[in-house]
Amino acid sequence: MAKGTAPATPLTPAVFAILLSLAEGDKHGYHIMKDARAPQGGGIQMGPGTLYGSLDRMMRDGLVKETGTSDDERRRYYRLTKLGQSVLEVELERLHAAVSSAHALGLLPHGGRS
Amino acid sequence: MTRSPSATGRLDRLYALALCLYPAPFRQGYGLAMSQTFRDALNDQALSRRTFIPLVLRDLLTSLAKEHLAMLRETFARPALVLNALILVGISTVIAMAIYVIPLQVLRLGTDDPQVELAGNLTWQIEQGIAPADAVPNGTVEMARSLSPFVAAYDEQGRPLASQARLNGQTPTLPPGILDFVRQHGEDRFTWKPSQGIRIAAVVQRVDGSHPGFVLAGRSMREEAARQGLLKQLAGLAWIAMLGLVFLGTVCLGWCTRPRSA
Repeated sequence: MAKGTAPATPLTPAVFAILLSLAEGDKHGYHIMKDARAPQGGGIQMGPGTLYGSLDRMMRDGLVKETGTSDDERRRYYRLTKLGQSVLEVELERLHAAVSSAHALGLLPHGGRS
Repeated sequence: MTRSPSATGRLDRLYALALCLYPAPFRQGYGLAMSQTFRDALNDQALSRRTFIPLVLRDLLTSLAKEHLAMLRETFARPALVLNALILVGISTVIAMAIYVIPLQVLRLGTDDPQVELAGNLTWQIEQGIAPADAVPNGTVEMARSLSPFVAAYDEQGRPLASQARLNGQTPTLPPGILDFVRQHGEDRFTWKPSQGIRIAAVVQRVDGSHPGFVLAGRSMREEAARQGLLKQLAGLAWIAMLGLVFLGTVCLGWCTRPRSA
């Protein structure tokens, strides 16, 4: 598949959740969906169509790739690329700056002006 | 709570059927993996089906639309294809305009022919010494209603001497700008609008000799206007038909040359 250009941040919630899930290691589709559903994984309710559509575009953009190994031919495993890793880092820094700002303004439930 | 294998199998088959709605390349690439992911979710005891099934339905709607749009974009939004279509649209537009403008000009020029002859004859008679009142034929032509050609003679200042034409019972006066032009050039052919809704194909010529002045020959353009309207409709239909062909051709070309990885 043709490689595209890396997406500019902010990333879509689905792409962010997939990158975050794969940062932990190689995973198959349902494992990524489960991670994304958890609050710490982004809290994204994603179905198979959205998941594989996003993975398809992310592979074109060079953010993830298939590992080529599988315990079952119907299960495909995906891995974060170096570009995917750096895009995730940029997004996390952006979110961290926003959260810090929200802390400073006392907008977070357990936060306060620091 | 245990889950019925038959219900799981039914849902699995339904989802496999729903996968047929995705574009073929996407389905071939991810159909098996999507089915497996769906099955994994159904078998996950921690995931309530009441939550998952509506989620899958919403996901089907949104991702089907997204993948079909992506396929259309990859198939048809290629610069070469778009440029080709734009060029063809441009050519079609120029052809449609030519279909309208060229016959329109031919029609308009042809409309003047009888008046040129009538004005020429009247000018010649007056220049031969016949008085304008005698040279202008008897009879009245009501400009607002009649399609008949008419003639009129005017003096040097543009005052009517004799006229067949009547507009609301009066002999029409010529626009002053026309007289200046004819004094310099000898003749003018123009579309005259003496009143709202009346268009006359007019020819004005300079008269020399013992009765210097001007002669006017005119004819209502009502029938020409109807022909022009028909011409516009035909050119418009031809343009729409050509755009339709360009659209169909672009769709066929885009489909035949679509990227196979789409």
